[in-house]
Amino acid sequence: MPIPESYKLKCDYCIPQRYKHMALTSRKQPNIPACNIKTVPGDMTERGCAFAGARGVVGGPIGDCIQVIHAPAGCAWYQWGTRRNLSAIYAWAEPNKLCNDSHNRRRAITTDLKEKDVIFGGVKKLRDACLEAWRLIPGAGGILIYTTCTSGLIGDDCHSVAREVEAEIGKPVFVIDSPGLCGVSQSTGHHHFNVQFYDQMVQYRKRHPEVCMKEEEKTPYDINIVGDFNMDWDLALIKPLFEKLGCRIVCVFTGGERMRNLLKMPDAKLNVLHCQRSCTYISKLVEQGYEVPYVPVSLFGIEQSAKALRDVAKFFGSKEMMDRAEQIIEQEIKTITPALNFYRAKLEGKKVGMYVGGPRVWHWPKVMKELGMKVVFAMCTFAHEDDYEKINARQEDGVFIIDAPNEFEIEECLERFKPDLFLTGLKEKYLARKFGVPTVNSHSYERGPYVMFRGSINFARDIYQGIYAPVWKFTKDKDFM
Amino acid sequence: MKLNGRLTIEDLNALPEIPIEGINYEQIYIEKEPICPEYTPPDETIIPSHKRKVVIDPGRICMPFGAMWASVGVHKCIPFVQGAQGCTTYPRYTFSRIFREPVSIATASFHEDAVVFGGRKNLIEGIRNLICRYQPEVISVITVCSSEIIGDDIDSYLDEAKEQLEEEFGPEVSDRVKFVIIHTPSFAGSHIEGYNRAAKAFLQTLAKKRSPNNKVNIIPGIVTPGDIREVKHILRLMGIENIILFDISGTLDCPLRLPQSMPYYPKGGTKSEEIMDMANSLATFALSPHEGKAGATYLEKRFKVPAIIGPLPLGVHNTDIFVKRLAEVTGRPIPEEIKDERGILLDAMADTFHYTMMRRVAICGDPDIVAAATRFTCELGMEPVAIFNGTPSKDFAREVWAVGEEYNYKPTIFNGGDMFEWEDFIKREKVDLILGNSKAVNVAKETDTPIVRIGFPIYDRVGYQRRANIGYRGGEYLLDLIVNTILDSKFPDDRVHQ
Repeated sequence: MPIPESYKLKCDYCIPQRYKHMALTSRKQPNIPACNIKTVPGDMTERGCAFAGARGVVGGPIGDCIQVIHAPAGCAWYQWGTRRNLSAIYAWAEPNKLCNDSHNRRRAITTDLKEKDVIFGGVKKLRDACLEAWRLIPGAGGILIYTTCTSGLIGDDCHSVAREVEAEIGKPVFVIDSPGLCGVSQSTGHHHFNVQFYDQMVQYRKRHPEVCMKEEEKTPYDINIVGDFNMDWDLALIKPLFEKLGCRIVCVFTGGERMRNLLKMPDAKLNVLHCQRSCTYISKLVEQGYEVPYVPVSLFGIEQSAKALRDVAKFFGSKEMMDRAEQIIEQEIKTITPALNFYRAKLEGKKVGMYVGGPRVWHWPKVMKELGMKVVFAMCTFAHEDDYEKINARQEDGVFIIDAPNEFEIEECLERFKPDLFLTGLKEKYLARKFGVPTVNSHSYERGPYVMFRGSINFARDIYQGIYAPVWKFTKDKDFM
Repeated sequence: MKLNGRLTIEDLNALPEIPIEGINYEQIYIEKEPICPEYTPPDETIIPSHKRKVVIDPGRICMPFGAMWASVGVHKCIPFVQGAQGCTTYPRYTFSRIFREPVSIATASFHEDAVVFGGRKNLIEGIRNLICRYQPEVISVITVCSSEIIGDDIDSYLDEAKEQLEEEFGPEVSDRVKFVIIHTPSFAGSHIEGYNRAAKAFLQTLAKKRSPNNKVNIIPGIVTPGDIREVKHILRLMGIENIILFDISGTLDCPLRLPQSMPYYPKGGTKSEEIMDMANSLATFALSPHEGKAGATYLEKRFKVPAIIGPLPLGVHNTDIFVKRLAEVTGRPIPEEIKDERGILLDAMADTFHYTMMRRVAICGDPDIVAAATRFTCELGMEPVAIFNGTPSKDFAREVWAVGEEYNYKPTIFNGGDMFEWEDFIKREKVDLILGNSKAVNVAKETDTPIVRIGFPIYDRVGYQRRANIGYRGGEYLLDLIVNTILDSKFPDDRVHQ
């Protein structure tokens, strides 16, 4: 159903092609806005590039690899220690001392392409750079090479370099070919990483069967957590609950994980899939290639976390595990009820606007409901149709949704819907504050972890702090307007 | 001791009740896992950056970023970045991280088709959309790696865009916007050169000869809003009218005041008429030689406005030069207030040299601020030991060498390599203090060296963007930071009471 006239934002009067990106949710007959299509140039989009999706989101959290950016220095610099995808793996700073920051966030490693390289090609430079990085940062589990606009356009054959370097260092060297300008948003980069990593993993396992898990090491309850990137140590709350349930976690794709564990991904019995935008691709590939099924879960909020535990228990079909799931859920709810009640009383009836990449817009409506809050509008940077189906299903009816919103549309929505809080990212949060609307950083969190039962209290607290910060009352003094 | 009040992951998950305040990441103890069981030293033979191809921890970012930095200092100017979306989104993240402000930058949203067919359509359509929704006064069209490699002909695209604008909206809309083209392929230089090119491009496009205005032009370079306010303060005390090109003090440090108009535009920034008028000024001070020299020399060659290039007025000597030259150019005396401000800085130096003298210091960052900070640390009696600049420059090396000669030190200069070799040097040679940006914090922590944050970027602490390091008052603030940091880390409490 096209968006009703009254919902057509004024700021888009001269780019009416944006109106097809807007819709009102409906549970009966889902309204899917136009999505995952080209951005309107010059519309002040908030979208990023494919490289950001590949290197920043999916590859960045890998804990023990040397990640070489084949580009001028800028692309590596922008990826250096920014997103708070944390890891427990640290390189050595000196004897008896580990680095201050986890390995995946500690350094920016690049071929620093120059004009000369652009003209004559950067293949040799890339090869040398990989081997040198290997000698300067000893102990890594492998190398990931990323191409960017520059190396993609000059057409360097990075795969041949990877094969050479791999032969020399004896560890996996994978190429992630996802130049910034391919695809419509960072979502393309997620896709590229999934498919290319999977292909190279399959090949590597064939060449080196010793990296696969041995039959005798396997257990019937081996799972992977797929699509969690360990923002603010979410995994400190996710892993223990699945372990309590009786599962053994083979690997996390990719939060803080080691390459040698990632290579065992196909050896598990089940993939528990959290981020269903960025990691469904690899889950499907592993299912097709190795007959390992996956179960999609949401790990935010009480109802969804409970459902995730139940679904995993149900998959294994063990009565014991199902009983354990119920015990865990009961116990967890008990531990957070007093704090949750406190926040619920404060947040009941508050209006919230949401703008995240994609999945969190459907992960979180239930969480908002559990806090008594009402979603007044929802936006996604790079969601696809399946995301919007879930958004339609999980939001109340009639919530205004915008695909790939731009700065002006965000401003107009803040003014029009007057939310008490805006769940959004780093760039947009400062914009919202200029309009007097509090925000919670919904990408890297304010002070996480936010997942599962215990994390939901941190989330609730940050929302509460946003709405109840004393600063907002001063902004409304008419004498100073 | 190890836990230091924190909970292990097991304890966290066994806690019978979560407190109202929740349990945050910083309250969780995470056992660090070494990447490999044993420490293995890096291969020493390739630690010097000139002996290898790989760059580890570059002290520079891309050229378009510098052009964007400059452009956002212009009133109602929106940069239009001719490239992929990341080339806009990453810089916007970076600005937001440092300044905690929104920054509006448009992108041509290159997807694969733009590479195949060229970015013509993206530019024409993008400029049109930007103008009809935002009505900017100036648009700076900034190229990036991709548009330079595919060879987009920006001038002819822009002509076409203007024609179409006139056809669709009439001349009053198309004539109101001024366009500045800045070519910034990142493989040809860093953000420093990007700012430099922007300075020249803005002046080349906008500056027009009219009658003399008796003003002084200032091109500050990549400094903070606080620094720019300090420059304005000095000029105010001297009664000098001025034009500051790329005045981010009014765009990247803005008040929260409701109601807000839409679309969001900061109130400040250099007005395009002011840039036009820069051809008529008494002189141009490019405070940061590497970031603005091209603009100042253009005005000198084209309009005979004398160019005064650097040094960055940070520290006593450099600020003295700035003030004296201001007095020379304008014929105005150095006012009492400025002499007092200088005296207060000297007084602070006289009160603290026992803390600072003979301390070994390592400095990192962009060329102009590092060169100036090297001199300032010498003025405090400190010994510059390892001086790193991310953007290679002969002028920088000469300047730092000259400072060393003057004060009888021989600092090791890392000119345009990477922070990895600088870090290795500090790990081996130990220093008492690091002066550097947020990228040096890991080095400081790993070597147990106290750090004073200066330069670009500082994103891990608040407020630095509002503080000045330049001018006498900025020197006084930086001195206080340096001394207090030394006191915090080097002195037991009973030694600091009198």
